[in-house]
Amino acid sequence: MVYGVDLGSRCVKIAAEDRVGFEFMGPFDTAGFYRRYIEPDTEGGKLRRDELDLESEARMAATGYGRARLGRGAVMVPELEAIIEGVKALTGLSDALILDVGGQDSKALLMRKGRMEDFAANDRCAASSGRFLENMSTALGMNLEEMGRYWENPVELSSTCAIFGETELVGLMGEGHKLQDLAAGVNHAIVRRLLPLLSRFQADILILTGGVAHNQALRRLLVEARSVQVVVPDPPDFVAAVGCCRLARGLE
Amino acid sequence: MAKVGITTTVPIEVIYAAGHIPVDLNNAFISRSDHQRLVEEAELAGFPRNFCAWIKGIYGTVLETEDLDTVIAVTQGDCSNTHALMEILQMKGIEVIPFAYPYERDYDMLRMQMHKLMQRMETEWGSVSETMDRLDAIRAKAHEIDEITWRDGLVRGYENHLYLVSCSDMEGDPEAFEDKLEGFLEEVRTRDGGSRGDGQDGLVRLGYVGVPPIAPEIYDYLESMGARVVYNETQRQFSLPFDTRDLVEKYLLYSYPYSIFYRLTDIERELKKRKLDGVLHYVQSFCFRQVEDMILRQSLSLPVLTVELDHSTRLDARTRMRLENFVSMLRGKGEA
Repeated sequence: MVYGVDLGSRCVKIAAEDRVGFEFMGPFDTAGFYRRYIEPDTEGGKLRRDELDLESEARMAATGYGRARLGRGAVMVPELEAIIEGVKALTGLSDALILDVGGQDSKALLMRKGRMEDFAANDRCAASSGRFLENMSTALGMNLEEMGRYWENPVELSSTCAIFGETELVGLMGEGHKLQDLAAGVNHAIVRRLLPLLSRFQADILILTGGVAHNQALRRLLVEARSVQVVVPDPPDFVAAVGCCRLARGLE
Repeated sequence: MAKVGITTTVPIEVIYAAGHIPVDLNNAFISRSDHQRLVEEAELAGFPRNFCAWIKGIYGTVLETEDLDTVIAVTQGDCSNTHALMEILQMKGIEVIPFAYPYERDYDMLRMQMHKLMQRMETEWGSVSETMDRLDAIRAKAHEIDEITWRDGLVRGYENHLYLVSCSDMEGDPEAFEDKLEGFLEEVRTRDGGSRGDGQDGLVRLGYVGVPPIAPEIYDYLESMGARVVYNETQRQFSLPFDTRDLVEKYLLYSYPYSIFYRLTDIERELKKRKLDGVLHYVQSFCFRQVEDMILRQSLSLPVLTVELDHSTRLDARTRMRLENFVSMLRGKGEA
């Protein structure tokens, strides 16, 4: 048995791999996870494995922003390396462009022959991240899954900021626009901000990873904009955790 | 002897020849322990939040440095934010002397600028020329440190940055600065090992291009991952590594204030010579040089990571993540 833990800025995902296959735990809310399952320590903290029913001796690799919280008891691996390994394990593909949209940033990774050839990451702005969609769904009073169903008749959102975008959305609601059209506008807005990341790279297959990949509209709009085949690993939010399992196994 | 602030590298030979002390305001800002407060003070005074942190820091530094009432501001060859800074400083009663690097690298125009600066500072070509010879001897020692960095691998990226960046004003005291360089060179020669410089020892060799970082800890963070900056573009330029005794020509060869295409010829030559694996392009938030990033990326044959920082002088988690992944990618390429 090996474990992979992805401590993201918004959610924590855990994958366990044995001879049969993968099992998934989470996503857990990051703040709540820290409070409940991490034993604080000056040397970086330790995961309370017993609380999560994890084997105490099994090898574990961790990635994501919070991985240093597991300073003891886990091997740290770079996030994009984990994503590449996770994509390979879950899709069997080794040549593709990968778009990972996480809680606070987004990255495009070019994978060639199973290795990372190049990558680009978003600038210092949360408007192309999952956090933007979270804020917008709260403002619309619609959950993320439902918001991700609309792409037709988008209302144009012009604000480039995740915070002001919310104010703009509320104003547009006041003007009487339909919620579905506003949701479509939100999805168009995030795609517009993701496209510059992808424009540097050429690939026939686009693999979407991270929690935002659950958004149906996003998938559809990316196919339209880039004329590519879009592949979503199952489950897309556990890709980095799965990759951690693979990297942990490699260290055995 | 009065302190004269400079907003970026200008012919410090003129300032020293006139008997004054140049203070590179960028270095003065970043080496203060309260730099964060200076940025906040500037914002309280009304500087926009989405504005270059260096400018805000320089503003605060000028107002809080004792005996500093004159600033030479580079008004061509740097950014328009400097123009605005110059104007707001004048409002505060600071004497501002403009200095312009001609965009087309025209010899006569630069000579005229230098001549005017000399008149304003009440000195002349003869004593400036003598001063240049004295400073060049000191610069040669900084060049030696740079050489040892990429050739012998005995100097850390941060040390290379520090000694070269300090050449912009020689810390206001050329003799003491020279002693410092000599002391360092002596210590370095006793270090053993070092990187072989052939890329065969697993060390990822990086170039750093763009303005010096607002968070110098970037160097040690890279070293902690087995990567080292062996080329600091702008900092090296501050040390004027040119073989000429003509003051005007020296500042025409200096690449930082001129076009990105001229800078690229210098960068490409050094990348090749220093056998690099990848390049970090540092851009300051809200800086026009973010647009030049497009040109750099299209022109350089090596992988480029763009690093953008705002006002925090500590590296944030997002930047660490990018650096870590870039180093791991370059290492993967090296092994492939």
